[in-house]
This record gives sequence, structure tokens and C-alpha cells, in this order.
Amino acid sequence: MGWLSKWLLAIVVCGFSFLQPVAQNCPARPNNGTVVADPFNISSQNGTLSAKFTLGHSVDTAGYTHYCYNYQAGSQGVEAPTLRVNPGDVLNLNVVDAIQDNPSMPMDMAPPAGPKCGDGGAATVNSTNVHFHGMNVPPVCHQDDVITTLIQPGTPGFQFSVHVPATQPPGLYWYHPHVHGFTEFQVNGGAAGALIVEGMEKVRPEVAGLAERVFVIRQQYLVPWIPGPYQLTINYQVSPLIGAKPIIQMKPGEKQFWRVANATLQDFLQLQVQVNGTLRPLEIIALDGYPLAQTRSQNTILVPPAGRAEFIVQAPAEGGSAVFFTQSYSTGPTGNPDLAQSIANVETTSGNATTSMPKTTPPTAEGVKFFDFARQPATIQRKLYFSEEFGGTNGPIQFYITVDGQKQKVFQANEEPVISTKVGAIEDWTIENRALETHAFHIHQIHFRVIEVDGKPAQNTDLRDTIEIPFWEGKGPYHSVKLRMDFSDPTTAGTFLFHCHILLHEDLGMMHKILVSP
Amino acid sequence: MTRFLKSWGLRLIGLVAGILALSGLGMAGTKYVVTNDDSAFPFPTGVSIYAVGANGLPVFQQRVATGGFGIGGGYFGMNRIAVLNRSDQQCVYSTEAGSGNIVGISLTTFTVGGIATGSNTDAGTSNGIGLALNNNYLYASFSDSNTIGTFQIQSGCSLAFIGDTSAVGLGGGGINAMALHGTMLITTYTDGSIESFDISGGTPLSNGDKQASSARVKSQGAIYANSVDITSDGHYALFGDTSTSFNVEISDISSGKLTKTTVYKSMASISSSTVMLSPDESLLYVINTQGASVSALFFDKNAGKLSGGCTSNAVKGLSKNYSYLTGVSLINQTGNGGGVYVAEFGSSSGIAMVTLTSSGKKCMMQEVSGSPVSDINSPGLLSIGTYPPRSF
Repeated sequence: MGWLSKWLLAIVVCGFSFLQPVAQNCPARPNNGTVVADPFNISSQNGTLSAKFTLGHSVDTAGYTHYCYNYQAGSQGVEAPTLRVNPGDVLNLNVVDAIQDNPSMPMDMAPPAGPKCGDGGAATVNSTNVHFHGMNVPPVCHQDDVITTLIQPGTPGFQFSVHVPATQPPGLYWYHPHVHGFTEFQVNGGAAGALIVEGMEKVRPEVAGLAERVFVIRQQYLVPWIPGPYQLTINYQVSPLIGAKPIIQMKPGEKQFWRVANATLQDFLQLQVQVNGTLRPLEIIALDGYPLAQTRSQNTILVPPAGRAEFIVQAPAEGGSAVFFTQSYSTGPTGNPDLAQSIANVETTSGNATTSMPKTTPPTAEGVKFFDFARQPATIQRKLYFSEEFGGTNGPIQFYITVDGQKQKVFQANEEPVISTKVGAIEDWTIENRALETHAFHIHQIHFRVIEVDGKPAQNTDLRDTIEIPFWEGKGPYHSVKLRMDFSDPTTAGTFLFHCHILLHEDLGMMHKILVSP
Repeated sequence: MTRFLKSWGLRLIGLVAGILALSGLGMAGTKYVVTNDDSAFPFPTGVSIYAVGANGLPVFQQRVATGGFGIGGGYFGMNRIAVLNRSDQQCVYSTEAGSGNIVGISLTTFTVGGIATGSNTDAGTSNGIGLALNNNYLYASFSDSNTIGTFQIQSGCSLAFIGDTSAVGLGGGGINAMALHGTMLITTYTDGSIESFDISGGTPLSNGDKQASSARVKSQGAIYANSVDITSDGHYALFGDTSTSFNVEISDISSGKLTKTTVYKSMASISSSTVMLSPDESLLYVINTQGASVSALFFDKNAGKLSGGCTSNAVKGLSKNYSYLTGVSLINQTGNGGGVYVAEFGSSSGIAMVTLTSSGKKCMMQEVSGSPVSDINSPGLLSIGTYPPRSF
């Protein structure tokens, strides 16, 4: 009810100014009820992938805002292609900011102090940059620095040159804007895409030769900062609560390798495939881009906002029907409702998938980053906690992530790092949730291993880059996770971020800096 | 014949009721719990009136439609409903933030006695309109225009608008809650500042003591005073803070101005946005807005200090039925109050009843069986009051 009153209130206060027509700068989206196509692929050639993205902005006829990465593939304009690189490659990405001024959002944020990267100036709703989520690349200008990098409209653009480590785990990553205060606006409805580090079949032979599908699930709100009614989309096709659903095609009985990115603003997806009403076991291959040590079969996979799940799905037999579904998820008394809904219908057909995994590679996980770091003892223990302050139902609201013992404060672009450590450190971080809302912890640059949940050894000690921490129920101890952080790689040296990946929370300051000294 | 007798019988009952109402005797011994429904457009709002059952739980009696619209939300600390218990009239005043009105309802006839509006610029559509009153004036904090509207209380529970006073926090924060005693009106602002006003002339005049509360300063901007209450002798002002822990602040106001607040902090629960002193001032009830519990702290009214106390278990229905515990009113208007009624804001609003057991040194707060009582007329209950109100 709170969200409804906020939404009605927004209309009362703002009228429909946020529905003002803007230039239509995004490609047309697929029609409802059509076959879901995989995103357009751009693959590296001879160790390099070069591409140019233009960030645009549109509002559709229903009033939903779309931001989009436009890529010109010959004469065809495509949106947010999948970037495919190999370990050791260089990703050269030129990004031009072509967002038209949005007069209903004149606010801006103070620029960070210190060195500038890119165009500089104040961060506004029209500024942008790019975060390569989950990639273990340096937090420096032209690679994965989102603290000082700003790209402004009307400038020639900015060149990223991301050096993918030779040890980067093969898997599904993603890219999205990360300008403090405005990330939610740009990810809303669109500006996000998949980034795949090739070679999964080298460590998980189960996927060799399987048809590969890439699904990016996004979320769009009428007003991103007032979480009211929303739509989920799959590869940009709206999945309406009522009406024709997107269609995923599979051959009868076929096994496919699905690579699913949760690129929503705040939706905790509980993914299922229901075949004739029965849950189909999903063979999990990787989470957050990191291959599991062993394939795990689950009926439901919880994927927090920004998380990824890669799994094998078997199609129903000829004549059978299936549904790609997300179950409802309770985010707590002050969280937003994550509704149950089918994302797409699975239809059996004789057609072929657009891409398949390579067939012949001897499997090995040797040489993959973080392969054995769980065996190393932690030398530093830290405790952090999420908390929220609500002065009223509509605010003022403060979202905090705090290092235990320090003062609570919201993120400021010019703040000093709240954690300092050194290259080589192995640390255990206990993250507690003292809020009445579930949060999603994410740290840039590295993966962490989940070693404890609620003070007990984790059942699945997976390597992740984003992890959910359930809300406090009003009694008993706070929910928590203990995460082992590995800062041993010198490429992590620098200042980078950790935060809640519910993007409204991140934009409102539930984020801080960590400094890893060489 | 039967029809004749019934007709005359009804007239006689009506006549007696009218005489009792006029004399005020009709209210003797009667207890009510009243809530501001705060229904937002397109659902007209109103005031729900509950009798108090033998077990103390509210029993719904009727809803008085007030005609305008609420907003279904807003600040936790402000009182959107205030009860007047004057010898000549007993009234409930309730705000309609969506329409910008303050409605007076007679508690003897359960009818609307008057609907008042402030100036053309007075507005509280984002976060509500709060109230504080004495026997002569009612003050309304308009959270959007950042004004205090002064209204003169007139017969029949009607109001006459007198004028506006600007009220903005040190850092530009909006006006939130108010409390008054004698010639002093105290306000809280959403930027963590607090201020007092001289109301001896009716219209508030700033005492020039606007300041950031100590908790605000110590937390470097993280904590802010939300609600406020004042002791019966006007010696101390007590503030309930919005915080991720439990913070209460006390200011000595015996000089006629706010002084630097003393902070009482506890990790017993989360947030403390609404507070209310017990009738005998031996206790301060604290609603843990985000902590789902209710606390009672021992208060030394002579020294102005808090100590010890107790906190209830989580009140039933968190997440399932409600998100926040908000407004508070006392179960009894004498002694230690016996506990509190608490407004539950959420998908199904309710009134929780949490009773107090105290030996004077130790205490226990416990939600009673049968609590909460559903408040079906409110889409999000924030403010609650009782008749008779506390005497100060």
C-alpha cells in the first residue's frame, strides 16, 4: 500500500510531467507475444572487441521510460548487444552520451573530488558511464572506474579499454551505467546488456554442444524513483501480467544452456521452469559468472538484482507446454512487492537456436581466478550492516551501509574510503541486514565466497559478486552472510565501491568506497 | 398505539440525550479511540470512532465522513488527529492533507461541526498536516508550505483561521510534529533541527532558539527528531528520534527556550519516531517505528532523566499486515497510562494494544490477546487519539 500511496502522491505532486514526450532515440522493441530472440552478438576478433554505443532515451506510448545502448550493426540499429570476449582479450568500447535533456529532472550531484576521468563536471540525470559488473578488472580510468568517470551529452564520447584478465572466470557478466544518483534512471527499462567471457565448456563440460540462450530480464517503471507498477521484459519484450507472453522456442526434449541476467532495478527473481504444471529441475552451471565446482540441480534459483544464473533446461516432450516463471519474493515490510509472474511461455518447435556452445574442449578449472582461495585463511575480519531510516511513509528516508563501529552516513562522491586494505589481503566480511527490507550486497572488481549464512556454514559455498540478505522480521537475530574476500590480485589495487544493488538504494547512498593499496 | 409509544419514546430519548449533550454529561465515563482514516483520492476520508470494550480493546462504533481526502501516508511523528476536552465542548479535529482541510467533529453528536482551511498557500499534500491544540487555539503544521496555521477554536467544534507563521528548519527542513504547553509551542523539522515559539498572543512567534538536536550533530546528520512531547510543568521537552537504533532526546525548556538536548540511546530496537509521556510522567512510551515493538522508559520528571525500562516483543503482523508502528495514545488517562494504543500502518491497518505492567523499577510491555483490532476504514493508519485525552 505504501508504494501505491507514493505513486498516487507523485501524480498529485508532479502531475504527469514525467510523461512528457522526449525524442525517441531507442530502437523499436519486440511486439508482445512474439518469439524471444537472443541479443545481437559482437565477438572479439584476434584478441580485441571494438564497438561503439550511443546512449539514448525514449518514452513509449504507455509512458514507460527507456534508456538504451544503441549499436549500429551495418544498416541495422540494435540495442545492447551481447559482448563476447575471451580471457586475455581487450574490450574497446566507445560510448557517446546522446541523452536528450530531461526537463522534469533538473537535479544534479556534486562531482567527486580529485582526479577526473572523462568529461568531468556535475553528475546529472543526463551524465553516464559504464560499469562492467562482475569483471575482475582494474578500477582505473578507461577500465572499470565509476567513481570519477563521467561522460556528458554533446561531447565526442569516451573510450573504454578493458583488459580482460587471462584468469577471468568464463561466464555471464553484464554492463550498465553507474553514475551515482542516477543509475536507476538509466538502467530502468534498458541501458544494460550481457557480457560473456567465453569458455564455460572448458570448465563445465556439461554445456558443450548445447544450444545457448541469453536472456536479459529487465524492469521498467513509469517513474523509476517511485516504485509503483512495473513491467518485466525479457530481451526487451514486455512480459505482461495479462496478455500475450513472450515465446521461447525449444526442440521437444532438447537441453538448452540458458544464461539469464537479472538486470532489473530491484526485483529478486525466483526462477523456475514449470512443465505441464510441474517444476522442472534446473542444472545450475554457474552463478554470477563463476562456474560452480559441481553442477547443482534445483527447482528454483533465486537471483538477486544484478545476479546471473546459468543453467541447463530440458524442454518438454512433443506436445508438452512449459512456462519460464518467477515466483513471488517477500522483500519485507518496507520492501517493494516482487510479484509472481510467468516471464515467457516455452513452445516446442523444430527450429534451431542461434548459437551453440563449442563441443570439443578438455575440461579444466585450473588457472581460473579464485579457483582455490577458499582454502586460504582470512587475516582480517570485518562486520558491516545495512540499515534504513524512515521518518515517514514517503520519507525522509536514509539508506545506509555501515562498517560496524563507524558513523552511519550516506555515500558522497567526494568521501574518503571507509575501508582500507592492501593487495594480498584475505578478509572475511560479515554483512548483517538490520533493515525491514531485503538488500543485495555487491562489491566491484572481485568475487567473494559465501562461507556462512546466518552464522552457520553455508550449504553452497559459491563464488558470487552479488548476494541477497533477507530482511529482519522484527524479532530474533539479524540475517547475515559471511563472505571471504580475496584482494590478492594486484589488478584490484585502487579505490572502488561496494553497495546494495537495489538501484534506488545505491543512488540514495547505500554505498561506500574501499581502497586496496598496492 | 405501539407506533405512537415508540415515536414518543424515541423523542424522549432524544430529548434526554440532547440535554446531556448540551451539559456535557453525556460524555461522562465514556471512552473513545479515534483515528484519522487518511484515505487518499478518490476515496473520501473520515474519522473512525471506537468505543473501548471491557477488555480495553477498541470496538468500532461508526465512521464520520469528513468529505475531503487524505494522502494515505506522511511523517510518522506528527499528530493528524487531536482531541479537545473543554467543559463546554468535546471535539475531535482531524486533518485532510489531500484537501488541505482541518475538520472539527463534535463528540457529542458525532457530526462535523466545521471545516476550516488555512491560507491559499498552506499545503501538506506530500507528508501531511499535523495538529496541536490548547483550549483556545489549534495549530496546524503544513508540511509542504512549511507554515504553522493558527486557528481559533469556536463553538460547535468549528475553527476560524487567523494567520500563518513560517516554520523552516535550519537546513531548510520541512515542519513535522508539534507539541505545546502554556505559552510555548515546539516543532521538529525533517533536517534534524528543533525550534520553539511563543504562543502567548495566539499566533506563534519564534523564540529564536532554532538548533540542531544533539543526536543530529553527533550522528553527523543521520538522526533527527521526529515527534515531541512536553512535561505537564513545561520543564522538559522530550523528542522521539528517527534512527536506525533507539534515540530519545530531552531539552530543558524551563527558561522558555530550548536548550541543548541530552541523548538517550539504546540498541533495544529500531527507531523511536513517536513518543508520549504517561499521565503521571513516570514513563515515556516510545514507539519503535521500524522495530515493531513498543518501549517504556522510566522518567524522572524532577531531574528530567530517563532510565531503564522495557521493550515489548515484536507486535504481531509485521510484514504480513503492517510495515510501521506509528501514532500512539494512552490506554488510561491516569497513573502510568497502563500502556498504549498504537497505529499500525500497512496493507491492513490496525490498532495494536500493548499493556504495561510495572513495579516502579521494572516493567513489562505486552501485546494483549485480540490485538490488533483491524482499522478497516484506513488505507494506512498513522494517527490515533483517545477521548478523554491526557490532561496536559
